[in-house]
Amino acid sequence: MLADENAARARDLAQVLSADPQIEIVRLIAGTALLDAVADAEPDLIIVDMARPDRDALDGVRQISASAPRPVVLFVDEDDPGFMEEAIASGVCSYNVGGLAPADMRPILRAAAALFRRYQLAADGWRAAEAQLAERQVIERAKASLIRERRIGEPEAYRWLRGQAMQRGERIVDAAARRLREREEKS
Amino acid sequence: MIARLGLLRLADSLPVLVALHQGKLAACGVELRVSVEPSWSNTMDKLAFGALDMAVMPPSLVLAAAAGLRGPRTRLLVPCGISRGGNAIVLGDDAARAAGYGADADEIARRFAAWLRRQPIPPRLAVVHAFSTHALLLREWLAHSGAGPDRDAELVVIPPAEVVDSLMARRVSGFCAGAPWGDEAVLRGAGRIVLGTEAIRPGHAEKCLAVRADWARSAPGALEDIRTALAAAAPICADPERAADHAALLAGPPLSLPREATLAALCSVPGRRPDFATGGALQGDAAWYAAQLSRWGWNLGEHAALARAIFPPLIPIETEAYKSR
Repeated sequence: MLADENAARARDLAQVLSADPQIEIVRLIAGTALLDAVADAEPDLIIVDMARPDRDALDGVRQISASAPRPVVLFVDEDDPGFMEEAIASGVCSYNVGGLAPADMRPILRAAAALFRRYQLAADGWRAAEAQLAERQVIERAKASLIRERRIGEPEAYRWLRGQAMQRGERIVDAAARRLREREEKS
Repeated sequence: MIARLGLLRLADSLPVLVALHQGKLAACGVELRVSVEPSWSNTMDKLAFGALDMAVMPPSLVLAAAAGLRGPRTRLLVPCGISRGGNAIVLGDDAARAAGYGADADEIARRFAAWLRRQPIPPRLAVVHAFSTHALLLREWLAHSGAGPDRDAELVVIPPAEVVDSLMARRVSGFCAGAPWGDEAVLRGAGRIVLGTEAIRPGHAEKCLAVRADWARSAPGALEDIRTALAAAAPICADPERAADHAALLAGPPLSLPREATLAALCSVPGRRPDFATGGALQGDAAWYAAQLSRWGWNLGEHAALARAIFPPLIPIETEAYKSR
């Protein structure tokens, strides 16, 4: 069972895992409580987005159904603690429901961790790109105000900002932000 | 030294926020990085696999994590307590009317147990984690009145931030949770607080600081600085004059708790509000929680020895010397 509300990531992981004919994938429907879904589908293994707040419901559960009493336990790859650290850092973990052997579970969690890591890197990249874009906009606005007020060209405006930044040992974006702040305070 | 500390969205995270606000840790060279975790499971997994160095946790969960009841056995140490009491048992209107108010804990429990037994199916009561203090205190309260927590009721696990909605939608008949979620339920008209958990076990330990043992060994100085900063924050947190400031601090980032409910919780009567002023030894509390876990079938093995090993005897903290630094 895949319990991940990030639909694109769940779809990608389902695609990766479906290459193995031994694996039958059940997707958790958004808005369903994790424990209820697990009780309905009775999966052998649950791959969970660690950030799900309802994950606590799986702890301490001794059996998932009365017909086939199976405890739920967090899967821990004891042979490879380094890998477990990576999986947790990438935001995914898995639970063993019943008696799957570690050898059968390991490749599934590995595939999930690799995919979660890829999404995490992409999200980090996005954030970095957004921050860069925001910085560029601050510099552009500061330049525009200089061009307007001092009647200078764009290269001069940029040189002025760079000079300010170098004097104070700061980045150009900091000098630009300071300039904009000072203008706002005056007006 | 960087210390990564996990918190949940609860009012008893306050001492950590106050300690950070005071800025003395930074002056000692300790960079405390607070991480707000979505669940206790997340906190325990991150502690187990080194993504967190420490966390504010209920002592019963510390025992469960250390005993490997829910995942890998994690070597933890508890250098100090954080809070006592402060949880509320909240019931929907029908159940609250049946249980009544104002009577002592035993009387309310007897009436509530009778109400439970009158219901055609066992009513659902929510707790935030099977091994949490709330779950164990609620079980003790029900059992003391002769109700079977797993026979006359069904205990379900619901995240604290969702528990009020669940009561509102009648998916559960009541819950036991930490502040400010009881007051939030009252303010939103979802139910009434019939009892504070202090009435079940007076002065019970509620949250403590749990630290990875290897981190504690690698940074004894930083750990002592954190312990001292928390001890210095405790009397400030307990000052009722500052409740409005503290509610504002908890309502702001990173916790974003509901402000009005948080203020109500911090201003409620002693015995109902979280008690930050008492530190004190935790061994007795830990042994009690260990016995409760075993009583309900989560055997900790040599629980008494485990409780003794994780919760060391009280070491005095020199806050006076700290203030003058």
